[in-house]
Amino acid sequence: MKIGLGIVGLGYIGNTHLQHALRLRNSNLIAVADISKRALRNAREIGAKKTYADYRELLKDPEIDAVVISLPTHLHLECAKAAAEYKKHILLEKPIARDIKEAREIVSVTQANSVKIMMGYPLRFNRIFRNLREEITSGALGEVVTAYVTNISSGPFFHRAEGYAPVPVPDWWFKRDLTGGGVLVDLGSHMIDLLRWYFGEITDIRSRLGYRFNLDLEDSAICIAEFQTGTTAIVNVGWYSQEYKLKVEVHGSVKYAVGMQSASNPIFTAAQMLVTGKSKFFEPHLLELQYFIDCLMKDKNPSPNGNDGLKDIEAISLAYQHQMRS
Amino acid sequence: MSLIGLEKVEKGNLKKALANAFNSIGFIYPRNATDIVIKPNMCYYWDKTTGQTTDPDLVGSLIELLREKTSCGEIAIVESDASAMSCKYVFKYLGFEKLASNLHVKLVNLSDDKTVPVSVRVGQHTFNFQVPETIQKAQLRINIPKIKYTVKGIEITCALKNIFGCNPYPKKFRLHPRLSEVIVALNKAMPFSLHVVDANIVSGVQPRRLGLLMAGEDPVAIDAAAAKIAGLNPRKIEYLKIAEKEGLGRQEFFPKGSSLEYFRDRYPRKDMRKKLMSNAYSIAIKTGFGRRLGLE
Repeated sequence: MKIGLGIVGLGYIGNTHLQHALRLRNSNLIAVADISKRALRNAREIGAKKTYADYRELLKDPEIDAVVISLPTHLHLECAKAAAEYKKHILLEKPIARDIKEAREIVSVTQANSVKIMMGYPLRFNRIFRNLREEITSGALGEVVTAYVTNISSGPFFHRAEGYAPVPVPDWWFKRDLTGGGVLVDLGSHMIDLLRWYFGEITDIRSRLGYRFNLDLEDSAICIAEFQTGTTAIVNVGWYSQEYKLKVEVHGSVKYAVGMQSASNPIFTAAQMLVTGKSKFFEPHLLELQYFIDCLMKDKNPSPNGNDGLKDIEAISLAYQHQMRS
Repeated sequence: MSLIGLEKVEKGNLKKALANAFNSIGFIYPRNATDIVIKPNMCYYWDKTTGQTTDPDLVGSLIELLREKTSCGEIAIVESDASAMSCKYVFKYLGFEKLASNLHVKLVNLSDDKTVPVSVRVGQHTFNFQVPETIQKAQLRINIPKIKYTVKGIEITCALKNIFGCNPYPKKFRLHPRLSEVIVALNKAMPFSLHVVDANIVSGVQPRRLGLLMAGEDPVAIDAAAAKIAGLNPRKIEYLKIAEKEGLGRQEFFPKGSSLEYFRDRYPRKDMRKKLMSNAYSIAIKTGFGRRLGLE
């Protein structure tokens, strides 16, 4: 038996899922959906058998057991609700939703329809950060007192023309009512989820937001978060640098440990993906999708799940409420 | 022979540097200029610190200087939508919206402007463009480009290439196959009379504070000077050869102010890694392989 898989949304990350889905064990990629004809044509060329311009048509497909939802954030609730009502299990890209209310609705609709929901947080499947967790939980570091996490890049303003080609920034990225927030939601959700995985629930969080680019969305954020374990973490996220940096540093009473992920070369990564279906940079995404399929095969609840997505957005909302003023 | 003013920018004194550069080239401020257009480089969502886009503070200093020296009417800062950039966001992102509000000048997205059709010939080819009304009716057109290395075949972008951004057609990427001729044709359709190069921060292997402000009235001479500063031979640049042939200016120039060699020696050279990646990308797109790689 194999899981019939559908992908809704073929943007940057949707395309990555597509390339992986074509090569997974225990699953068949049944169909993809996107409003872009070009994206659907490209998907057909690389092996997608069925394509839909309307994701509702994809959800009606009886061959499909589960869907990957990689749509803009404002469409998560609508699509996740429809998927749950069609009894499709869901892998939902982060952030779960624009706000707590929508996130709760997603969790409740999946529970009501008895479908599994997993959140797309690839850092949990990254070997570097898994090893770090092992060091933390094994006690090798002693008691972790502080952690510093940094995720800084150009965010959605990633321009391939600097040596590559122009890729427009979709309009929705500029609109707070569609994204639910700026960098704190976009990159902060990754880091907050990772820290919750390491140290448990957040008991307090405060933020300092920056608006260097005059947008309605913060383009930099520094948060101080306190965890149940007593660990205090500083989360430093930004969209302001052309250079990508993702670093996690944890300081324990015995020793410290550092995990760092480097930027990938987009052409090399794309070529690797085409030839082998894998790349070092996107390996966590592949492991994440494989894990999701394995959970469905074994009828196991995946982790991170919808509740994790909800807790992450709750922490972010609290950080927005508790802003430090100069 | 055209005069090119090369002025060292002292920290925080952009207006003085502008005034000195204009004096050195003998620029005569028009007594009355009812409509003035200023065209900075706002190619993408990267701010002035990257060396990729024009510093809004320089544009602000220019506006203040013009208001002191001439009785100018309406001033418009212009840009048009591009393949990957939308003016409605870039004006805000780069700080031009704030500037326009503080100095009471207009911000015009040329892609939304009314246009008039204009035909120009370059060599054997005729090019038809829609020229925005804001540019057409302006009595003084000022170009504020950056110096940047660019795609193979064009090599450097400065004064002439910046006018590419006055073409209101947003999908500019499609004009790239005949870029040299298109650049010249657009400059013939929309000639600018004053060019102020913002080379205070320049991009190369990495951004560098070069501290240069360059001014001139001949865009071909300006680009020839920019090419020399960036370590390139302007005589080998196709669009400059065509521009000269088409009468847009001359490559010979007489530098005034600081020495060109001073800036040439400090200019950050090309990033070879980016150049290699750019070539690999071009090949991937041309062969259709890029689409399969998901790079388009």
